[in-house]
Amino acid sequence: MSRDDMVEIFRRVLETDSVSVDSDFFASGGDSLLGTRVLSAVARAEGVELSFEDLIEAPTPAALADRVASVTR
Amino acid sequence: MADIVSALLEVARSCPENRAVEYGGHGISYAELVRKVRATARELGPAPGPVGVLTDRSPATVVALLGVLAAGGTYCPVDPAFPAARQRALLEAAGCAKVLVARPGTPVPEGWEPVELPGLLSLPDEEHPGPPAPEAADAQAPAYTLFTSGSTGRPKPVLTPRGAIAASVASLRELFALTPADRVLQFASLNWDTCLEEILPALTTGATLVFHDEAYTGSIPRLLRAVDAAGVTLLDLPTAFWHELVRHLAQSEEQLPDSVRTVVIGGEAAGPARLAEWRALATDRVRLINTYGCTETTLITHAVDLHGPGAPGPGAWWGEHGVPIGKPLPHVTEAIGPDGELSIAGPALATGYRNLPEVTAERFVLREGPHGPVRWFRTGDRVSRRPDGHLVHEGRLDAEIKVRGIRVDPGEIETHLSAHPEVGVAAVVGTRTADRTTVTAYVVPRRADADAAALVREVLRDLRATVPGHLVPHRVTVVPELVHTAGGKIDRLGTHRLHTPAAAAPARTEHHNGPTEQDNR
Repeated sequence: MSRDDMVEIFRRVLETDSVSVDSDFFASGGDSLLGTRVLSAVARAEGVELSFEDLIEAPTPAALADRVASVTR
Repeated sequence: MADIVSALLEVARSCPENRAVEYGGHGISYAELVRKVRATARELGPAPGPVGVLTDRSPATVVALLGVLAAGGTYCPVDPAFPAARQRALLEAAGCAKVLVARPGTPVPEGWEPVELPGLLSLPDEEHPGPPAPEAADAQAPAYTLFTSGSTGRPKPVLTPRGAIAASVASLRELFALTPADRVLQFASLNWDTCLEEILPALTTGATLVFHDEAYTGSIPRLLRAVDAAGVTLLDLPTAFWHELVRHLAQSEEQLPDSVRTVVIGGEAAGPARLAEWRALATDRVRLINTYGCTETTLITHAVDLHGPGAPGPGAWWGEHGVPIGKPLPHVTEAIGPDGELSIAGPALATGYRNLPEVTAERFVLREGPHGPVRWFRTGDRVSRRPDGHLVHEGRLDAEIKVRGIRVDPGEIETHLSAHPEVGVAAVVGTRTADRTTVTAYVVPRRADADAAALVREVLRDLRATVPGHLVPHRVTVVPELVHTAGGKIDRLGTHRLHTPAAAAPARTEHHNGPTEQDNR
């Protein structure tokens, strides 16, 4: 999953186009409930079942995409 | 009405070897649970007063809860993930002299000494002498203290008597049709009252309460796997989380595990779109129970089967007049005022707000009945009655909103925002967008030349350090001024419309089922 794919997921979940690869999920209106949508979208696309902790530690599209890559590699 | 502790002891006498609690695949029998509860009660001593418990997602919290009750004390759960200042405010407001720590090593707020319970979960198996006779417990004595949001910024402690919890739990055992074969997932946050709907009906039936680490990861696929692996039969979910579960099931190939026979939801309005999706999934064999209640009226007061074998006929469709919150449970008396406000009477009413006689008198009122004065709780919720008798929630009489199922007075967030040295005034609104509430704060800086982006970052950082996550707005917008009403009061909705012209309609305030929360962010 590319960083741009992850930006797309963030944009869809946060319902805003003002998301870049370095936008912080929680500073962009995200919370734990919206977080489940990101985790579900990643699980459906990549089969990787991240946790909310992963999103807290990697809250940007770039960081989260890297985390997915590190799991699938 | 049997006291909760008596009911537990009775179950432990009749089926001592049943598994009471399960965690990480390990089981604790009812006999063992009662031994641990007695040991905890003995450690606390008789009538210990309000006891703060720093909770943990483990059976130790259940032992602490029941141990405090067995000793005749008042249970007061505190989330150790809350900022320290908030933990202190809660312990002070509840009047806790003692603090129990569910997970060894959890730091205790300054000024309190933790009650040490070494080896809480590895006590020797020999019989211990019993706790003070709980059978003699006074139904009016306080059982627990939980908090609701108050505009002053200080949490409002609700005192719930033992008789209220006994009455409510008896109705819930019946509503859930629990049997000793049931396996109830512990999912709700341990720091609000929804978890008591999971814990107490199960443990006074002889059923098993299941803790499972994979259920708390925030990942729905992992939750579904945990439910399947543990053979969970009853799930009690905040409605906002159920919305996300339905979305996931509708968009993926996954299914609700076969073991699940009942899903209980509550905390805010169930969305008709998600309910339609749920009906379209293979869920006909699963009871979907919608519930309503306030912390002040103890757990659940109203319920209705929305779908599944308990729903009133396959023709019942709830989309037309709004999804109902149902009819009162057997222990509940309801009344609807001329303005549509729902009032509740009966044995499940709280005693009031601790040390707040004026606020208590405002919400707990005496009304003359045919057999003398009756005490009622004014819920602040507006309801209507459908032709079939089920109530529908229509909104709030005040500005209260629900954030992830937790009641929030916007005034409380405004108070915290205004405490920031760079903030002049603030207005907070909740807006409802597809199944959820988004909280937006408008702040006016003290200095006209303030750097807006920097101020937003600073305000959010400070809030996260001092208050729980449900009091942190999703969005903070710096504006030059707020809108005021003709009477000079801050006009929250007017401010919202002026500064977010394309804004979605303000939150149709939702009904609540006692606070629940999923996280501390």
